[in-house]
Amino acid sequence: MPRFAIHNREDNVGVAIEDIRAGDEAQGVYIEDRSMGPVIKALEDIPLGHKIALRDIKAGESVIKYGRVIGVATRDIKVGEHVHIHNVKSIKWGNLARR
Amino acid sequence: MAGKYPTIKAYVRPDGSVGIRNHVVIIPVDDLSNTAALGAAKLIRGTVAIPHPYGRLQFGRDLNLLFHILSGTGANPNVYGAIVIGIEDNWANKVADGIAKTGKPVYVFGIEGNGDLRTIEMASRKAKELVQEASEVQRTEVDLTGIQFSIKCGESDTTSGLASNPALGYTVDKLVDLGNTVMFGETSELTGGEDIVAGRISDPALRNKFMRIYNEYVSIIESEGVDLLGSQPTEGNIKGGLSTIEEKALGNIQKLGTRPITCVADYLDPVPRNAGLCFVNTSSAAAEAITLFAAKGSVLHFFTTGQGNLVGHPVIPVIKISANPKTIKAMSEHIDVDVSDLLELKVSLTEAGERIFNYALRVMNGRLTAAEVLQHDEFSPIKLYISA
Repeated sequence: MPRFAIHNREDNVGVAIEDIRAGDEAQGVYIEDRSMGPVIKALEDIPLGHKIALRDIKAGESVIKYGRVIGVATRDIKVGEHVHIHNVKSIKWGNLARR
Repeated sequence: MAGKYPTIKAYVRPDGSVGIRNHVVIIPVDDLSNTAALGAAKLIRGTVAIPHPYGRLQFGRDLNLLFHILSGTGANPNVYGAIVIGIEDNWANKVADGIAKTGKPVYVFGIEGNGDLRTIEMASRKAKELVQEASEVQRTEVDLTGIQFSIKCGESDTTSGLASNPALGYTVDKLVDLGNTVMFGETSELTGGEDIVAGRISDPALRNKFMRIYNEYVSIIESEGVDLLGSQPTEGNIKGGLSTIEEKALGNIQKLGTRPITCVADYLDPVPRNAGLCFVNTSSAAAEAITLFAAKGSVLHFFTTGQGNLVGHPVIPVIKISANPKTIKAMSEHIDVDVSDLLELKVSLTEAGERIFNYALRVMNGRLTAAEVLQHDEFSPIKLYISA
């Protein structure tokens, strides 16, 4: 049974469709044709709806979802880690206040 | 008799528009008139008052927008007739004139020179007549075409982008293909997906209009010396797993379906009945957006939610759709359509979209939504700037 979904084959993050526990070997699924994707070992708990890294993402690298850039990694992220506001930020907003 | 269109049983108004509810509304023009409007509504069963905090010393485009919203709400096809109450006659008459254009009954009462109690009595006597007249108007069978709808999401999370929004997108395509209007807005929340929206507008003039409206909105935010980091995504969005405004926007636009965008409306622009998919400049606050959609003629609003938004409207039903199994369990009384099985990939997008469409048919035929029964009657006019 798939436990996380991938919007686009270019994406480097998937979305948990149920709660995933640290250590779980979780099965991914591609939304477009419902074919099975990679199996990823979760390094942390990934709550329902939260993102899991599908590969290593270096600090400064784009985070890709829907085949589009949704932000930039603010630190190195390992495959299987939780991807959220602690390690990704918007490229549209968040720079203005410091101008 | 199977025709080209599905049919619904609805109310045909004097101007030919089609409503799915049959309200008698009592509209205060200003904050001071809320008491009288609420007083009359308390006395007369079957009326709905729509109190709000504005209407004094507004000017220019902001005042015109308030008139547009108040008149539009009274003119909404879900309304049988309206009572307008204002502290002064002049502005109250302006609001009433906008409603009277539709051919439905409207009565105006000014409080100056009468006081609240006499006004309440006069308004209540007229409201009583209107409710009794309205009670005899029958639903008739009409084609599901040339009707206005609206969509918005709120308290979104990643389940919105994965399931509830794409399922609603299917429903939107179907409504557009039948020759209806579907309005969407949330101008600032398109950030990160604004180029995708612009790319779906084939008419160059409309595309330029959309980009002008979008850029103007963002520049107003930035002129305050801030950006929306900290308020966008919201605390609820973040709890649900959304990390950035770009991610939120890309999930948001999943609900637009796949048809071209053929209409772009700024705050004061009217929206025709067969406009197809129509962008309307709105804030992203749920009640403000729905209030403006209803003022432009939407008779039914589709609202997808991840973490559980409660919003309703006094005149138009709001259908809540969610794919988040935790929310559906924890806040079951607020959710009308459960598409969590799409998130779990147990059904197809078509099945989930048809489920929303079929539920909407029931609501159009008279079934009350959760928000209607729970008395979520949010009415929030958008205010553009300071008053004088």
